[in-house]
This record gives sequence, structure tokens and C-alpha cells, in this order.
Amino acid sequence: MSIEALIFMILIFAICLGGFICSLYLSVKKK
Amino acid sequence: MNKKEIFSSRWGIIFAGLGMAIGTGNIWRFPRIVSQFGGGAFIIAWILFLFLWSIPLLVIEISIGKKTRLGVIGSFGKIMGSNYAWMGSFVAFVTTAITFYYTVVTGWCLKYFFATTFQGLIEKDSLNFWHSFNSSWEPVFFHFTAIGIGALIIYSGVVKGIERANKILIPSLFFLLLVGCLRALSLPGALQGLDFLFSPNLAKLADYKVWLNALSQSAWSTGAGWGLILTYAVYSHKKENPILTSTTIGFGNNLASLLAAMAVIPTVFSYFSARDFSTTKVLDIMKTDNQGLTFIWIPNLFSKIPAGSFFLALFFLALCFAAFSSLISQLELITRIFIDAGLTRKKAVFVVGISCFIMGLPSAISMGFFNNQDWVWGLGLMVSGLFFTLAVLKVSPKRFREEIISTSDNKIKLGKGFDILVKLFLPLQFLAMLIWWLWQAYSEDPNNWFNILSQSTVGTVLFQWAVALAVFIFFNKSISKKILGSHEY
Repeated sequence: MSIEALIFMILIFAICLGGFICSLYLSVKKK
Repeated sequence: MNKKEIFSSRWGIIFAGLGMAIGTGNIWRFPRIVSQFGGGAFIIAWILFLFLWSIPLLVIEISIGKKTRLGVIGSFGKIMGSNYAWMGSFVAFVTTAITFYYTVVTGWCLKYFFATTFQGLIEKDSLNFWHSFNSSWEPVFFHFTAIGIGALIIYSGVVKGIERANKILIPSLFFLLLVGCLRALSLPGALQGLDFLFSPNLAKLADYKVWLNALSQSAWSTGAGWGLILTYAVYSHKKENPILTSTTIGFGNNLASLLAAMAVIPTVFSYFSARDFSTTKVLDIMKTDNQGLTFIWIPNLFSKIPAGSFFLALFFLALCFAAFSSLISQLELITRIFIDAGLTRKKAVFVVGISCFIMGLPSAISMGFFNNQDWVWGLGLMVSGLFFTLAVLKVSPKRFREEIISTSDNKIKLGKGFDILVKLFLPLQFLAMLIWWLWQAYSEDPNNWFNILSQSTVGTVLFQWAVALAVFIFFNKSISKKILGSHEY
């Protein structure tokens, strides 16, 4: 696997997983 | 509204929303499309359209459902006025028509899970198995079973049925996808697949087909514009934030798609790395249709890996979970409309179950009919998305944003960018997708393009849409009166 593809994969997961966890946290945290 | 019919917590609507969005398309369509249209380049466009099409429509749907507390038809009537309830009828019908054949798909997944577990599917010729299954009575039986299970869940109500089922299905589905992913990546040659999937290939962004396929995939996969999350929002808490719920669903859906692609594509690459490898061969497999890849090629691929039968069973179990979590939301959409019309949940579920079984029979029996309905109503979802956009335009995007989305309970608010999206980007994306798909159909058979009896022509789409629209416009007064009743805006 090329370094370029690895970095791209990490970036995509950072966006999708990060966005998911962030929205989930803000959705369910007690106000 | 009955107090029972509210999600017990915010987790309830989040799991239900994820279940609604994550369906068979994430597992059997995304890996195919991402392979064909440029891997990394496609992923960039696909994530962009999550923000430009899917999340805005999810926000609109949740806000409408939360505001009106009525199903799709009642919501359009209440938001736009009873003269426009026919738009809601069309949106509801498009999703209902999809449900008629989605129950058949769910049945296939069930059959293949059982066939892998108890009938030694992995040792059989998968092509013959698929054809003999499809020419038998079994698709009808499994279609019936899928509706039975779905109806039972809906019958149990929002908390004990929908919420409880999704709280089991969604975490299990993510676990299975993760296991499938790890297994695929442990295979020899799998990293080549990962490299293919995640190579940025930015030059491919110049190809308009990459953009249009990415937009279509995002539109179909997230469930935006189907009216499904609107229906779930009817049962949401007063403090539910449409923006956060939509982004959770959107990102969660994309995450599931990525995991599915990471399970399927490296497996295909690994299969060929041990043989006469070429990327063209891999792409040839990925070019086969959804059914061809899932029910013919996947069993073949898994038969060549250690413990293949076990992992094939897990794959079909994941597919079953994805199918059921979406099927539940589709059945609930129809059930909600009958409840709005005055039926009890018990009676509504009975009517929906029987109707879906009867109306799904042609698709269970004939693949030609199945493909025709998939073509007509899959494209119809884009019109549904447009109708939601028109609903916001009728209210005025600014008023909709300030009074319907951003209630006093929500701290996160949308800016003027939302108005531009609704006035410009959503209609433009609708036009681009519709024209492109119809143009493709026309180009494939220019001499037969208006044949309404052909499987995938422009004519059959326009004819079936026109009939549905004519019926709903003609009966609009009586339908809206029955559903809106005393709820008139």
C-alpha cells in the first residue's frame, strides 16, 4: 500500500469517524 | 399522541436513524460503485455531496416531522397547505413502491444466510444456486418471512419494536462489518485492494461521471428525501436537534459504507492476487450488478479463503441486519400514514403487511419486474428530494430555518448558507441527476426510449410517475381530508 493511499485513508476516516463521534457526543450529552 | 409513541431516549432516534440509512446499498452497491468510479476521487465527491444533498434533506425532514407530528402526507399538507398534500402522497408512494421489492431483497438475504449456515452454499456452484433459487417458490416464501418479521417489529410499537430492534441491529452490524474488514485485510494481497480503494487519483475528479455517481450514491444511500427519517422524527423528543441527528446519521452511514468497501474490495483483490491478477479483472467483477456481485461472486470468493463458510455466513448476516433495519423504517412510514388516517397501529400493520406481500409478489416472481421497479422508483426518490426542497421554498427558506429548524431548544443553528442550498444547490443537483440518468437510459436504446413496457426506458419512468401523480392530484382533496382532519394548518 502506498504512503499516499495510507494518508488519504487516514484523512477520510478522520472526517467520517470524527464527524460521527463528534455529532453523536453532542447529540446525546446532557444539556 | 399516545405517550408510548416517543423514543425512550435520544439514542432511540439515533439508532433508528442509522438503521434507516444503513441498508443493503451500503454493502452491495457502494463497494461496486467506488471501484468503478475512481476509488479515492469518488470518495472525495461522495463526502462533499453528503453536505450538499443528504444532510440538508435529512435536516429538512427531521424538522418537518418534529414540527407536524404527522406522517409524510399529513406533513406536506400541514407545512404547504392541504392543496399540496399530493406531493406527500407521491413521496410516500415512491418509498412504498420501493418497500414492495425491498422485502424481496430482504428475503434473498435471509435465504442466503440460511443457505450458507445450513445448506453448505459455499460448496455449491453459486451461479446455478442463484438461478435455481430464483426459479423456485422460495423467493415468495422468504419475501413473506421478511414482511412477517418486519411487521412484528412495527406491531410492537416505537419503543418496544423499532427502538429495541435497532439498538440490537446497528451495533451488531458495525461489529460484523469490522470483523469482515479485519478478515479481508488479513488475506494475502489484500493491501493492493486497500491501495486501489484509497488512492486519491485527483485527475479523475475531472470526469463528470464520478460526480454524478457520487451524488446518486449519497442520495440513495443516506435515505435522505425518502420521508423515512421524517416519520421517525414524529416520535422524537421536543428537544431533538435536527442538525446533530442528521450529521450523526450521515457520517454513520458513510462509515458503514467505507467498512463494507474495506471488507469486499480487498477480498476481491486477494482472490485474484493468487491467480492471474489484473485490475481489469477485478473491475469486471465490480461491474456486475448488485445481485451478481453479492449472490454469485461473493460466495465464490469466500469459498477460496480459510474459514470461508463462517465468514460468508457473517457477511450475509450483516446484509440481513442492514436490510431489516431499513425495512422497518419503510414499513413504519406506511403504517404511520394509516395511523394518521385513523387506524389503530394493530390494524395499520395488518393492512401494510398484507398489501406489501401482495404488491411485492410480482418482484418476487420476476426479475424483469423487479429491475423495472428498481429503475422507476429509485429515480423517483430524486423527485421526492425535490418535493422536500419545494416545501421549504413554499414556506421560505429563511422562515423555515428560523422557525422550524432552529427552535428555542436547539443551540446549534443554521446560517444563510442553508437558504442558498435550498434555493440553488438542491434544485440544481436534482436536475443534474435526473437529466443524466434519463439521458443514459435514452442513449442505451434511442429507438425504444418511449416504450412504457420496457424494463429500463425513459418512457416507463415517465409513464409510471405520471399515473401516480395523476391519481394523487385527482384524489388529493379526499386523501388530505382523511389524514389532516382536524389538524388543518
